[in-house]
Amino acid sequence: MNLSHIEKNTKVRIKEIKSPAILKKRLQSLGISAGKEVEVSEISLQKNTLKISLGFSFIALRMNEAQTIEVEELS
Amino acid sequence: MKKIVIALVGQPNVGKSHLANALSGSNLKIGNFAGVTVEKAIASFSKDDTEIEIIDLPGLYSLEDFSADEKVTKDFLLKGEYDLILNVIDSTNLERNLNLSVELMELDKKMIIALNMDDEAHKEGIEIDATYMRKILSIPCIKVSSKTKYNIDALQESILHVNAHEPVAAKLFYSDIIETELEKITSFLDEKHFKAPNMSNRHIAIGLLWQRKPMYAMMHEQPLFIELQPILNNALGHVYMYAGSEDIEEVINKENAAFVSGLTTDVMSVKAQKSKNLTQAIDKLLIHKLLGIPIFVFLMWGLFQLTFTLGQAPMDWIEGAFQWLGEIVGATIENEAIKSLIVDGIIVGVGSVLMFLPNIMILFLGISLLETTGYMSRVAFLLDGFFHKFGLHGKSFIPLVTGFGCSVPAYMAARTLKNKKDRLLTMFIIGFMSCGARLPVFVLFAGAFFDEDMAGNVLFIIYISGALLGLIAGKILSVTAFKGEDEPFVMEMPKYRFPSPRLIWFSVYSKSIMYLKKAGTFILMASMLIWFISSYPKNSFIEESYAPQIEAALDEEKGALENEMREKMMENTYLGIIGKTIEPIFTPLGFDWKMSVATISGLAAKEVIVSTLGVLYSLGDEVSEDDASLKEIISKSISFPSAIAFIIFVMIYLPCIAATAVFAKEAENYKYTIYLVVFTFATAWIFAFIAYQTLSLFY
Repeated sequence: MNLSHIEKNTKVRIKEIKSPAILKKRLQSLGISAGKEVEVSEISLQKNTLKISLGFSFIALRMNEAQTIEVEELS
Repeated sequence: MKKIVIALVGQPNVGKSHLANALSGSNLKIGNFAGVTVEKAIASFSKDDTEIEIIDLPGLYSLEDFSADEKVTKDFLLKGEYDLILNVIDSTNLERNLNLSVELMELDKKMIIALNMDDEAHKEGIEIDATYMRKILSIPCIKVSSKTKYNIDALQESILHVNAHEPVAAKLFYSDIIETELEKITSFLDEKHFKAPNMSNRHIAIGLLWQRKPMYAMMHEQPLFIELQPILNNALGHVYMYAGSEDIEEVINKENAAFVSGLTTDVMSVKAQKSKNLTQAIDKLLIHKLLGIPIFVFLMWGLFQLTFTLGQAPMDWIEGAFQWLGEIVGATIENEAIKSLIVDGIIVGVGSVLMFLPNIMILFLGISLLETTGYMSRVAFLLDGFFHKFGLHGKSFIPLVTGFGCSVPAYMAARTLKNKKDRLLTMFIIGFMSCGARLPVFVLFAGAFFDEDMAGNVLFIIYISGALLGLIAGKILSVTAFKGEDEPFVMEMPKYRFPSPRLIWFSVYSKSIMYLKKAGTFILMASMLIWFISSYPKNSFIEESYAPQIEAALDEEKGALENEMREKMMENTYLGIIGKTIEPIFTPLGFDWKMSVATISGLAAKEVIVSTLGVLYSLGDEVSEDDASLKEIISKSISFPSAIAFIIFVMIYLPCIAATAVFAKEAENYKYTIYLVVFTFATAWIFAFIAYQTLSLFY
């Protein structure tokens, strides 16, 4: 399951990031890395972009990028 | 007096500029980095006989080269001359900010960490133990608040203290296996009594293990490298095996992240979270699926309404003041030629540009509010899907909005885009975002041809249709000239914050001063030039040939004949001759030669368009001078279809020479500059042609 499939207001844990190295590094400097818990807090009208919240910040991602982030739902 | 240069570094939105402002007691200046045209803000203050200069570097998330603007900061940190790094951290977002700090520590410079926004962290129930943090990292960590000025003194003292003492290497701890390997390399160097200036052996060991090229270059020259090599090989082997990866960058990232995460847990405790909810609540509305975009459009509409309505009264005062000045000054000058130069050339030319200062200030205020409150990234979020369809990127929004102010910083702002293709495409579109300097033309024409209560809407429509045309152009360019891979869209959405009124004022003020300076120098010269070439040669034979006719004419025909004579005289001046030569190009658009000349002179700077029109129409105007404002003269002498065609042409054609030069520099290839010139002129001409021909059917 990847982040692009997650419904609004759902909390998930990141399992693995399969993005190309440079994007992976960027995600990490924004605080997105394996093991982190994130919540999908907004999805734009045509499902183009999504807003996730993690810890103390919010990040906007395009669906293409979200597809490279493997997650698991928190029970 | 001693001088200390401080590099102010931090992730975006941590309040760096605000802190620089607080440290220096609002002594900010804008300069440029040597070699590159990126604005750099410098703040300076003196304390204990030492002058301290702070260089406010563009924010960056990490030291990798993700985008061109981050590279500016990185290059400065690696090659620039400075004494110490002041790393600003947002206390409410400690862990993520520390990721950068860890990378900065590796640079081995004197460093201080300022834990900014302490007041906000308090409110959010976040407690950071700065003393413990200092103990772990062995570099000063000081809690400050640029808003409440808390601990600003302590930070100033710490700067002096750190600068006066020997550098203390920052301490990073890695996982046991890495530490063991580092220890092996360090003890080897110690045994050999190896000592590099200003660098600990541990630092060398880390550099070697992390395969940093400069470190290798340095150590390679040492005779002991032969013995060192097998130890290194061995160490790397162990590290790879342990990390399960042969990519050293990945190992470093993991190690740094683990250190940062551990450090955060050690020094930070959280009681309750509040303000995040406020941001979430505002976002529920502002980036709402259905409401988000309408709200944005409404806000933009409001801004242009304000630009017109609020700006109207001061604009009238300024225009009135200049008319009065013209009369007063005119009355004191005997010599006709000098009087004309000063009144019709300088006062009218400069005055017609200065009177738009209130509008410009409102527009810049709006843009800087958009930039500083955190709303900008929301709009990027909302528009990314839409922009993406047109080949643009959500982040393109930022340079595009900056383009409403001025194209020059907008071309530079395009550096936030990583891909060359996205950058170039965005830069091509920036010209469609009508810059502040074109605003006078639109305000003038909207005021002249539409009712007062409609003028604000017209202004809004002009800007929106420019932007829409830009999007269409983007689509066309992205499927023809700029094909290629998409850039990922990953962007922080910072918390909503009340911007510091001081910083907002500073931004509006410095831009207004720039506008005034331009009016006082460049526009002044241009007005004088335009006046000269539109007044000479005098061709007194025309006057002579008309004199008997006017003498003989009936009273009611006199006025018409005099006008005819003035027109003839204007047409035979240097400018008239130039205008007549280029007129055929613009005739299909309904421009007379005066408008054609204004279009060309607008290439120097868009403000020159109104000053040219001002000079040209006031010199040869048909109505008596004292009862007519430029607006009235224009509404009488230009037809409606011509006016619309003129607006459209000005909306699209090439930004000024200065902006084009910056474009050429940023695009790094003259080929693109030629494309830009041809592309903008051709589009402008075609659209103006269509508009004029269509409207002529009805009017």
